[in-house]
Amino acid sequence: MKTGIKWLKGLVVSGIVLGLVVSFNIPAYAKNVIKLGCAMSFTGKKSRTGKLYVDSLKLATAAINKAGGIKVAGKAYAIKIVFYDDKSDAAESAKLIEKLIVEDKVNFLLGPYSSGVTIPDSLVAQRYKIPMVEGGGASGKIFSRKNPYIFGTLPSAGQYFGTTLSMLTGFKPKPKSIAIIFGDDKFDLSVAKGAKKNAEKLGLKVVLYEKISESSADFNTILTKVKSLAPDALLMAGHTEGGINLVQQAKELNVNLKMISLTVGPSEADFRKSLGKNAEYIFGVASWSPQMNFKGIIFKSTKDFVAKFKAKYNYDPDYHNASAVAEIAVLKNAIEKAGTLNPEKVRNAIAKTNIETIYGPVRFNPNGQIKGSSVVLQIQGGQVYQVYPKGTKKPIYPMPAWKTR
Amino acid sequence: MLLQIIINGILKGGLYALMALGMSLIWGVMDIINIAHGAFIMLGAYCSYWFFSLLGVDPFISLFLSIFILFVIGYGIQRYLINLVIRATIFITLILAFGIEIFINNLALVMWTADVRKIQVPYGASNFSIGNFVTIPYVRLGAFLIALIIACVFYFILNKTRLGRSIRATSQDLDAARLVGVDVAKTYALTFGLGVGAAGAAGTLWAILFPINPMMGGILTLKSFVVVIIGGLGTMFGPIVGGLTLGVAEALGSNWFGTTYENFISFTILVLVLIFLPRGILGKSE
Repeated sequence: MKTGIKWLKGLVVSGIVLGLVVSFNIPAYAKNVIKLGCAMSFTGKKSRTGKLYVDSLKLATAAINKAGGIKVAGKAYAIKIVFYDDKSDAAESAKLIEKLIVEDKVNFLLGPYSSGVTIPDSLVAQRYKIPMVEGGGASGKIFSRKNPYIFGTLPSAGQYFGTTLSMLTGFKPKPKSIAIIFGDDKFDLSVAKGAKKNAEKLGLKVVLYEKISESSADFNTILTKVKSLAPDALLMAGHTEGGINLVQQAKELNVNLKMISLTVGPSEADFRKSLGKNAEYIFGVASWSPQMNFKGIIFKSTKDFVAKFKAKYNYDPDYHNASAVAEIAVLKNAIEKAGTLNPEKVRNAIAKTNIETIYGPVRFNPNGQIKGSSVVLQIQGGQVYQVYPKGTKKPIYPMPAWKTR
Repeated sequence: MLLQIIINGILKGGLYALMALGMSLIWGVMDIINIAHGAFIMLGAYCSYWFFSLLGVDPFISLFLSIFILFVIGYGIQRYLINLVIRATIFITLILAFGIEIFINNLALVMWTADVRKIQVPYGASNFSIGNFVTIPYVRLGAFLIALIIACVFYFILNKTRLGRSIRATSQDLDAARLVGVDVAKTYALTFGLGVGAAGAAGTLWAILFPINPMMGGILTLKSFVVVIIGGLGTMFGPIVGGLTLGVAEALGSNWFGTTYENFISFTILVLVLIFLPRGILGKSE
């Protein structure tokens, strides 16, 4: 009995430790190592998407190390990422960034996932004057603080639904009204604000503009409201689980709209697996899709990356994955261009970035955010296709009613 | 539209009731506030997820399996863990339950990873309409009815069986129960098993309706807690009244004030009930 309890205690402790700290090491190149620090959502609300970044960052660094590492002033350096689990918590993340800088003495920083977490992290980076390249936060609030040490590879949140809306107003008959709902999160708020402004400029009536609580899992009330207002389209700025709930419950309550579009979800395999056939015709937004074709500096091309990624992790990469590869590509290029590990000089080289990656061309605005815009995706036949602009398939609009499928 | 919202609330309230049933039983009989309750709901959800994804068992059938598995887990935890400290102050059992919750959550993270999962049955989102006004999803209606049936079964067990009588006797007067030959340790373990089994049932129904992840339990523990307080301890119909009250209040409140106020509404009701009806709506006075 007693040993049983001891054993249990041991298991509890190891469970906690496992949950708290996840880090991995590359033993090769004992001396010449460039250390990158990353606090990521291994657990907590955003762990599902956090994992996408981790997988990609590992694959990209392994590819660089295998190809001989990064050349700095004639010497080859391997890259090693020091990971910590920030539990999807902004305060925890900022603490870990400080730890990465002070204790682990990392050379450069990678971003966490989601805008709300990126903001405090970027401020720590600024305080210690260590450049941070992030691919997980797109809110304008990250880049409006005149922080010279933050660079982001996701396009501006305010413009996220821009392409979707210009596609929508091109349909015939021209849609008249839309509903916008958004999660309680800085990124979602920026997306919704931008979408509302864009929609009104395009002559669409915004009949519902409401904040929702994604943690509640219950979308019945908001969907009943949407049903009675009967807009042509529903745009939601939220995260994967909320998106699954929304679509599932829209079918449960027989809410038929001509279009449902989500910011996060449709591009992820889990979303399609969780919803099965009900995921059909759902629109999504992304800064990237695997059907694009670019040349890269770590991987030969988008195709090469997608193939290698699928072989290793057995799921389709989405824009989060590609954005993470772009983070590493930006750093590799900047370090090589600067020819030194001096943070200030590398920062200046990052600001001047002008490369093509598997994610697309990367150049930064003076505020540190990438120059670029998003593409529209749609799920058709269980696959995600880029449908606008000039996608591999044509958008299907309006979505067929639930009962006629 | 208002009618639809009230019906949404009632159907959700049924699920709340089932969630709270087990917590109410354990609390009422043993005076243990089971912080790990939500974690057991999560385990029930993953049980059915496994039966569904690995063996293709329909969740309405694996419901019974997950009740049974969770019953065994609950029985074991009470018999060999909580019973060791049951005589200590309430804080010790509270801390133990908290520890069990952390353990279960992290175990689930290792076993199932943090991926979002869902049981996607073919009839998952089908529904029927009454006139043009009201749409009722079958699965929610089913979950509601099952919650009522399980509450009735509990009522029957507590009031009509020998086990029920010994459970009630133990909760009323521990020493007297022991004097008349009730095996207290065993009764406690059976009670805990029943309570956790009900959590398993709630978990299965939750997994049919919503996506699941290993960290889903925390908020469910809180909701169950609120429902138990609102309904009142010491009666099997307390959680049902509490669940329906909370479900309808949340639905109406989120319609009027916005969905972000859902938890605000739950806890406002909690405070109001504590002030005006300190024993809950159906709670018995001593």
